[in-house]
Order: sequence, then C-alpha cells, then structure tokens
Amino acid sequence: MKLYQVRKGQIVYFQNELHKVYSVKPMYRKSVHLMKLRDLSQHLSSAAEIDKYQPKELDSFIFNKNIYTLSKDRKAEEGDYILITHPNPDYLDHYSLNEIEVVASAESKGVVTSKSNGVKHNEYLLMVPGRHEHSNPIEYRDIQNIDDSSLNDLSNFNADMLPSIGDVYRSNDKDESIEAMVIAIQGNSVFLGGNLELALEELMNIEKWEFLYNLLDQ
Amino acid sequence: MNVNKLKENSVFIISLLLTLIFIVWGIFFTDLLTKVTDTIYNASIDYLGWVYIGATLFFVIFSIYLLFSKYGHIRLGKSTDRPDFNTASWLAMLFGAGMGIGIVYWSVAEPVTHYTTPPYGEGYTIDAANTAMKYTFFHWGLHPWAIYTVIGLALALCQYNKKLPAAISSVFYPILKDKIYGPIGKTIDILSVFATVFGIATSLGLGALQVTAGMHSIFGAPNTLPVQLIVIVVATVIFLISINTGLEKGIQYLSNAAMIISFAILLLILIVGPTLTIIKVFFNTSGLYINDFVQMSLRMRPFGEGEWIASWTLFYWAWWIAWAPFVGMFIARISRGRTVKEFVIGVLIVPTLGTCIWMSIFGGSALDMVVDSGNHELATYIKDNVSLAIFTFFDHLPLSSVLSIMGFALVAIYYVTVADTSTFVLGMLSEGGTLNPSNKIKMTWGIIQSAVAAVLLISGGLEVLQTASIAAAFPFAIIMIFMCYSLLKGLQSELIVQPINKSHRTVVRKTMPSSFKNI
Repeated sequence: MKLYQVRKGQIVYFQNELHKVYSVKPMYRKSVHLMKLRDLSQHLSSAAEIDKYQPKELDSFIFNKNIYTLSKDRKAEEGDYILITHPNPDYLDHYSLNEIEVVASAESKGVVTSKSNGVKHNEYLLMVPGRHEHSNPIEYRDIQNIDDSSLNDLSNFNADMLPSIGDVYRSNDKDESIEAMVIAIQGNSVFLGGNLELALEELMNIEKWEFLYNLLDQ
Repeated sequence: MNVNKLKENSVFIISLLLTLIFIVWGIFFTDLLTKVTDTIYNASIDYLGWVYIGATLFFVIFSIYLLFSKYGHIRLGKSTDRPDFNTASWLAMLFGAGMGIGIVYWSVAEPVTHYTTPPYGEGYTIDAANTAMKYTFFHWGLHPWAIYTVIGLALALCQYNKKLPAAISSVFYPILKDKIYGPIGKTIDILSVFATVFGIATSLGLGALQVTAGMHSIFGAPNTLPVQLIVIVVATVIFLISINTGLEKGIQYLSNAAMIISFAILLLILIVGPTLTIIKVFFNTSGLYINDFVQMSLRMRPFGEGEWIASWTLFYWAWWIAWAPFVGMFIARISRGRTVKEFVIGVLIVPTLGTCIWMSIFGGSALDMVVDSGNHELATYIKDNVSLAIFTFFDHLPLSSVLSIMGFALVAIYYVTVADTSTFVLGMLSEGGTLNPSNKIKMTWGIIQSAVAAVLLISGGLEVLQTASIAAAFPFAIIMIFMCYSLLKGLQSELIVQPINKSHRTVVRKTMPSSFKNI
C-alpha cells in the first residue's frame, strides 16, 4: 500500500496476520502503528508492508484471544461485541470505520455502546462468539501453512482479565454502594468480603461490577 | 397499544403541539402575537428580570464553589475511566460549542451599539467605548459558561455515573428517584424541549438575517423579509436532505471547516487590524470586567427605565439558558473521564478567555474605527443595521472582499450545522434521552424550528426573537436552579463511591489498555 492510502481504523494484513491501524504518523520511518487483533499487541510497520482487508459477513477472526464470526442475522444485545462497518455517526457520536465496541443497551432503532455511541442496526456486523461452520477464517492471509490447532486452541477467557485474590470490585448498582475484595476463588464461585458469593460470570459482567484495583498493586 | 405509544411519545407530542400552536398563532394572528410578546417583554423587565439576574450569578458562584469543593476529584464515569479526548482537542471542542452564529452576529454590533447607547452615561465618548467593551465581556464571559457548566456537569454525572438516559429529567434522579419516568419528569423534558426550540429558533432567525445581509453586501441581493424567509427554506431543505441521505458526515466536515475559517478570520483581523489597540483593549477590558463584575451582575434599575437591561442582559441570560440543553448535551458527551475540577476549569475558565479574546479582536477593531477617527456616522449606521454590522466592519479593513466572503461562508456554515445538529438533540430530548432518535422525529423538529424562526421574523424580527427567548426560557431557568441542588446531591452520593484518598492511588486497570481505546 501507499502511505496516503493508509487511514486510522483500517483492517490490514501485516506479516500474514490480521491487524488494525490505530495511528498513522507520516513523519516516522515506521509510520503505521498497528494492533494485532489476535492478542491486542502493538506493532510498528510501514505502508509498504501492509495490505488492506475489509471484513464482511461470515468472516471469522480472533479478537483478544476469542474467536468471533461476523453476522448480520440477528440484532445485537447487551454485552455483545459489534464491528462498525458502515459508520454514519450522529452529532454526538464519536466512532469510525472498523471500531469494535461493546453494546451497553439495545433499543429498537439501534444500540448504545459502552462509549455512549448510538449505532443504528444497519451500521454494524454482530461479532458472534465461536467459528460458524460456513465461515471464512480471515485471521491469516495465507492460511495454508498455518497449523489447524492454532486456529481453535484458544481459552475462552483471557487469564489477565480473570479475578484474583486481593482484587477490589465495586457494584454498579446506583441505589446500593458495595465495594468488596476477592478473598477466595473456588471453581466458578468467587467469594468477596462482607459474605458475598458470586458466580464468576456475574462478577465479570461490567454492567454489574467494576474492577477498581488490586490490593497488592497499592 | 396506541395508548402505550402515546404515553411513550408524550414528550414529543405535547412539545410539538405547544410549538405548533405558537406557529399557527404567529401566522394567523401576527398582530396579536406581537402585542402579547410586547406585554411579555414589559412584564419580563418588571417581574422576571431579577430571577434571571439572580439565577445566572448564582450559577457562576455555584460553578466556582464546585471548582474548590471536596467534589473536585470526582471523575465523570468510573474511577478507572480516562478522557476520550486529549486536553487540547477537548478545549477546542468546548470553545467551538460556544461559538456560532451569535458570536459572529454580535461581535461587532454589540460593542458599537453600546458605544452609541451605553447602559449609563453619555454615548459616543471614550468612557462609553470602555463601558461597551466591558459589557460585551460581561455578556459573553463567565455567566454563559457557568450556565453550561452546571447543565453539562449534571448531564455527564447522571449519564456516566448513574447510568441514566441522556434526558434533562435524568438530572433530577437524586431528588425525584423513579418519578423522573412519570409526569414530573415528562414535564421537565417538555419544558427543556420548548426552551431549546426557541433558543435555536432565535439563533436561526439571527442567522437568516445575517446570511441575507451577507448576500446583500457581497452580491447585492435585496435585504428584505422575503429573502430572509427564502434563506430559511433553502437551509431547511439542505439539512433535511442530509438527515435522509446519510450525509451527516458532511455536516461534521462543515462544522470543522467553520472552526478553521473562524480562526483564519480572527488571525487576519489581528494582523490587518489595529493589533496594538486590540491587545490594549483586551487587558484594559479584562481589568474593568473583573473589577465591576459583581456590580454588573446585579445591576437593575429600580428607579428608572430598565429597557437597556431587558433588551441586552436579560435577553442574553435567557438565550444562554434556552441554549443550555443543546450545548450541555454536547459538553457532557465529550467530557467523560474528566474530573469535576478539570471540567469546571475547562468549561468555565478557558472558553471565557477564548470568547473575550474574540470580542477584543472584533469589538476592539470596530471601536477603534469609530472612536479614533471620530466616525459617528459609521457607528450610527452599524447601530441601525445590526445584521449588516460585520460586513460594514469588513468593508473598512484591508482585504475586505476576502474577509466578507469568509464571513459569509462562516455564517452560512454555522447556520446549516446548528440547524442540523439541533434536530438530533431535540430528537434525543423528546424521545427520553435515546442516542438513536428516529429520522422522522429529527425531520419534524427540523421543519418546526425553521417555522418558529420564520414566524418570529414575520412578527417583528430581532425584537420579537429576543422577547420570545426571554419568555420561553423562563421555566427552564427555574428548572436549572433546582438542577444545582440535584447535582449537589448526586455529587454527595458519588463521594461515597469515589472517596478523596482513592484519587491518589495508582489504579491498575483490568480493562483494555488506554492505548487501545479506539479499537
């Protein structure tokens, strides 16, 4: 590609893997700053080293160590990830092409994302967890030489994101203020101070609980 | 089913009916409307003036209190949230929110008009020139931005910290709890929509006057009411097309272009105009403004005619309050992740400085023309032809044709962008704070606000525009006073979840790193 064709937000292939351009700095030798969609790691490249790709329905790829398939069949619901493919932002919206956002609430005319953007249903493709059997894997440009196991052998949770002992969480309930520390984890149950026992999924729900800090980091 | 739908859309339907009644009244009973607005105008001087004067000063004091209060560290959003925009972009956007048709329309006309007819003392004197600049700073300085600070902060707190819809009624959750979803909340929303329609219609009216004046100045088109109405119709068609064809992005580009043209004109005048005088005006007027701030803020005429105060100060305070939901929504939207202290400094202090610099450059240059050269005819001409003021001013500067064309482009762009963006905000406000207002509702508001602007112009032009603002904004001024109490309660409850000592901790985020904010 030529540098003048590169824009922030483009999905591109770099070293055979799917990346997203998060910044273009024309004055730098490595002028294109990328983020690998697979693990969100940052990489520097030049325009000549990348090739553009526009995701479409039924493409599947790995985002943040999870596999998703792009779908147009159903409308997004709370907690879903969406990929904005036809951005038409309103006056108070701040989003652009290929942004991946989390749905905070779904309405009849569109969704509201966790970044307070109102996105209409025709502006996005839903990222459905898992790889659909008829999907087109796009995480590698040349998929022939890639080992099959690396395509699907992914944990469903990023270990860094799981709760650990000493984590302090706050309840997002606007009527009741709870702030408590993780004191024990037993399988799928997490025990917080103040005699609270929660399922792991409930604590990881960003709408209900917010991670504040870990006591050991203080 | 239908009853439920009516209930759901009650804010939209009732506020639409109210404005439609006003439009029909204005078209078929123009004389009666003019008479009623005159009555309201006189009553506003006698009965409502003190409310506006007291409320706006209270908003300034309240904003400054928040700046130094124990709530300063509270973050708008989660304690782990960080600002969406860097500080420079944020400040530029804030300043842009306060810029618009008004600042272009009044930046020359106001100081010169005050110079010819000052609030006190003799006109056409050196003292009158200093007083003119002082009052221009006063009308465009801390008071309007304090109004925006209060409403912006209240909206941001309820949206990001309390997770409530982006409606004005949400701001009252700390006081009313779930009653915000009932009749009281709906009434608050209706009044906010009503005030906003008139605030925007006033701006559109001024815009139509100025676009027509610009066409008269540059192309020799007639500067008459029919042409003003044609301007409104053409602009309405343009933004209705933009709503329907997904050209909203084009409007955003226009909005950015307007900012660039504004600064280009500002720099040009600073270079080709009386630079040294402008700098002196800025410093001298800043001193006068700070020194006489309290006296100006509380000035009323209990033993004399209060007409000057009504037609200037009260009109401005009402206009700012009418604009508050519109600007407040925008300010709240771009301020997530800021602390209360950052917010108040950013919204109250920095834009005030910006508008004062703008007024020094335009007003200082214009006054230099009429004071230093003793050109009283020019001053009188500007006073009598307010909508032509900026173009008359450009005619007396080097590069006048370039400046006139840039000025005309600026006003035309501001007109279309304000008309377009306000339809979105009105859609939001009338649909319970949804971030996805329907196109039908946006188009309806687009047509309605243009119709209101047209009716006001037909009824008597600028004077009626001012009077209608004062009347329509009054209920919302009362709402805003209660809003301060609600905001305080909201901040108090937030203090429990964001205690002061926590702000000094290093927070390790279990969320995406900030560098990946825009994935």
